[in-house]
Amino acid sequence: MPNVIVTTREGEDHSLEAGSGLSLMEVIRDAGIDELLALCGGCCSCATCHVKVDPAFASALPPISEDESDLLDSSDHRDEYSRLSCQIFVDEKLDGLRVTIAPED
Amino acid sequence: MGTVVAIREFDDPSYDPFNSDEINFGDTLDPYPLIARWRAESPVFEGSYRPHMGLTSALYPDRKMFTVVGTKEIEQALTDPDRFSNEGYKFNLGITFGMGSISTMDNPEHGRWRRIFQKIFLPQFVKTWGETIVDPVVHDLMDKFIPRGKADLIEEFTLRYPFEVIYRQLNLPEADVNTFQRLAIGQTDYVNYEKAIEAGEKLGEYFIALVEERRRNPGDDLVSLLANTEADGEYLPELVLISFLRQLMNAAGDTTYRGTSVLLTALLENPDQLDAIRNDRKLIPQAIEEALRWDGPVVVQLRMAKVDMVLGGVEIPSGSLLDVVAGAANRDPAIFTDPDKFDIFRDRRAHFAFSRGAHICVGQHLARVEMTRALHAVLDNMPNLRFDPDKPAPEIRGSMMRVPRHLHVRFGD
Repeated sequence: MPNVIVTTREGEDHSLEAGSGLSLMEVIRDAGIDELLALCGGCCSCATCHVKVDPAFASALPPISEDESDLLDSSDHRDEYSRLSCQIFVDEKLDGLRVTIAPED
Repeated sequence: MGTVVAIREFDDPSYDPFNSDEINFGDTLDPYPLIARWRAESPVFEGSYRPHMGLTSALYPDRKMFTVVGTKEIEQALTDPDRFSNEGYKFNLGITFGMGSISTMDNPEHGRWRRIFQKIFLPQFVKTWGETIVDPVVHDLMDKFIPRGKADLIEEFTLRYPFEVIYRQLNLPEADVNTFQRLAIGQTDYVNYEKAIEAGEKLGEYFIALVEERRRNPGDDLVSLLANTEADGEYLPELVLISFLRQLMNAAGDTTYRGTSVLLTALLENPDQLDAIRNDRKLIPQAIEEALRWDGPVVVQLRMAKVDMVLGGVEIPSGSLLDVVAGAANRDPAIFTDPDKFDIFRDRRAHFAFSRGAHICVGQHLARVEMTRALHAVLDNMPNLRFDPDKPAPEIRGSMMRVPRHLHVRFGD
């Protein structure tokens, strides 16, 4: 099972096992990290699961869709590492992925 | 404009849609103690929310009904599309707004159209409307009562400005506005459902003609934008487009009117918090979120069980309708300490006022822009704002949808 390391806004690291077929948002939410709000439940309809992804994994990530990009544009904290975690499905290629939960808007 | 598009009144011109509020949405002064009692007994129980709150049933089919008040179960019902469908809305919203209303659809069909509407209402776009549309509307309305030093902020302000914002967004001909508003409000008179249906039909034919007209002569308004939007090389289906436009009045007008009314009432009831905001306007966003949590305008959402299930220990057969009382989660003491208290300084937790899940309010960012501009204007123009001591205090009422009918204030000296 791939492993992801999630850093909270307070700087606390959590090493999480990602069950198969789960999005990164679901992995983080299911671990009880409730600062990731994910209010729409994972259908790319809000921007409350915003994370910053370790650039070392950039090439292993799925490309950003136009919808995801529009939603990320609504955040004051978007940068080149920004992604919506509901749009990233964790597979073996992403084993060891490090992400940081973006500041709240 | 307006010459080629005719708007038709109700067949019975004496019908007053503005009197439909209490029978449809209730006049309960405080539903929350009863909701708290239910939550303490069981997170889910059989029976519809409406009769439990003393309201007649409205355009619901003969199905088993359940009420959901436990926060965990509310979250499940709103965010688990495998077990819970939005098809229940086909029995009420669908009949008046149209079966193209995305509120009546499930994914993936819902998402296909939602993404188009969602894009228009993203924060980066709606914030520009704050200055171009909302501020002029707010100031036009306020200019009429500011010199008087007193006002009913509901009748003269909050009941009007979100609708005026929509009329400007749609660029409606001035002569059509009165009839348009009567039809728009009448659409949700589900207890007098023949009126709701008549209103939906008449608004529908009006919008169809308006869309055709804006395709011929496009402007920079929202109808022109939507009328000329294409998905996969084609215009939006007429049913989806017209349903959305019908729903817009209710979704963007009625809710914002209620939300702003509750916000101003709560701040006047808590003058220390109003003073804090006067001294530091950076507190406005948290004041708005707290008002939405404390007494959000929309208390209940409808879902339909897609499968046989057990929810909150209760067996629910497939096809049952569920009144999901999202407003109950906003007063859950396990999430919000001292939940009945309005406190803009409380620890911020995500509320349920815009619902959750795939159908989370698509207009939430516009609602925040409107409420923000409204509150700034109140602070800018009404020093020493206080209740009018000669008039009754406001009472927020309703069990489905909440609002005070009047908010009599004085300001200035």
